[in-house]
Amino acid sequence: MEVNITKQSKEVVVCLIGRMDTPAAQEVAPQLEALEEDARGTIVLDCKDLTYISSSGLRIFLTLRKAAAEKGGKIIVRSINDEIRSVFMMTGFLNLFEIE
Amino acid sequence: MERHLDAHCQAILQEFQDHLPQFEKEAAEAYEKLKRTLDDAGLRVAAIEYRIKTEDSLAGKLELKGSKYKSLADITDIIGLRVITFYIDDVDKVSSAVDRLFTIDWTNTIDKRKLHEIDSFGYMSLHYICSQGDFSYRFEIQIRTVLQHAWANISHDTGYKSGVEVPKEYLRNLNRLAGMLELADEQFSSIRSELADYKRRVKALVASGNLDDVPLDGDSYRSFLDLKPFDALNRRIAAVNQAEIQEVSLIPYFEIFKWLGMESLGDISRLIKDYSDAAFQFACYQIGLTDLDIISSSLGPQDLCIAYIMKNGGGKAGIRFMLDSLSGPSQSNEMMAGMMAEQAADLPFMNQKESTDGK
Repeated sequence: MEVNITKQSKEVVVCLIGRMDTPAAQEVAPQLEALEEDARGTIVLDCKDLTYISSSGLRIFLTLRKAAAEKGGKIIVRSINDEIRSVFMMTGFLNLFEIE
Repeated sequence: MERHLDAHCQAILQEFQDHLPQFEKEAAEAYEKLKRTLDDAGLRVAAIEYRIKTEDSLAGKLELKGSKYKSLADITDIIGLRVITFYIDDVDKVSSAVDRLFTIDWTNTIDKRKLHEIDSFGYMSLHYICSQGDFSYRFEIQIRTVLQHAWANISHDTGYKSGVEVPKEYLRNLNRLAGMLELADEQFSSIRSELADYKRRVKALVASGNLDDVPLDGDSYRSFLDLKPFDALNRRIAAVNQAEIQEVSLIPYFEIFKWLGMESLGDISRLIKDYSDAAFQFACYQIGLTDLDIISSSLGPQDLCIAYIMKNGGGKAGIRFMLDSLSGPSQSNEMMAGMMAEQAADLPFMNQKESTDGK
């Protein structure tokens, strides 16, 4: 899986590409968890090209959400596909994120 | 603006210029001290602010009444702090903090609230004259409510500093307005006390288990959540995949329960009792064949609501409404609602003939 991070003046856009299964989530975790530093502002998780998310991936999303809540920032989940939306729903996480 | 100051006033102005950095330092220190104390006491106020008198403003004051002051130390508002409270009761709480933090010059401190005469004009605040440490200049702290602050600002804007100056034809209206604001301040305090009483009564009722006697509102719902009413269902669902449960706020479900027609905490309690099996069936169907080992604590209430909606004929439209309310309207919610309605329709709870005795 691939992660592209673009820091803009008002937000950080994180493009997640591929399958975020458990090994992939572990691999990209340090990169994504480092974004906690930016959690004072807006972090956009662009999921247009994310095809799958595992529990480990959800945990990373939650870690970022927690950091944002503590620091007064926000996480926006953008363009999730129906399968991932369904995972959010099945686990009760759908209303925790601002979904665009 | 050009000022005409005599030598005495010039000297006072010079003294001010010489000590300006010290005034700035002392003002910031007093502000920090006061702010920290109010924060520590959990006293929420509308604003705490401070300012140093500008040189122009001081020169204007000296031009008008410079002979009144022997030296700069006689002018007590070079540093001015102001605390604006939401409630009139809090003015006295802030004043007790001021008493403890600073040395008060009681001779010059004025509680203008006590100066009211029956026919007096205005709506005033508490003005303390204080000093701190070995700083030789006194400063002023004003404490007033938001409404007193509005009055002070607006009446200042009229250009009349006292009732004496106000043309008679306007005096009556200003007095009426002042009275109304005083009354509003008292009412706000009184409403706050009544609400605090209500919350205590609700907590007691919830704790005693008389849930049918407790109307469903924001406060009672919060007290109800303290009992962890959805924990058993969440644990049961989590056990399916040995999942961990992430605690999240269940406040968003308040509106959903209201929408479902729940009127008391007893109604929600019955919903949990009567629909937990159905919610569990639905959750099992959704996550049982996945390896998802994390759920949020809102999954229990979410699936309870879905089961209730489906069992009571709300169908896809009902689930769609719920999803829109929880996560904002979206076209995807239509698809999700359709999918969930289809999944639920085939589950045993939908086909059980006996009716539940829930609402």
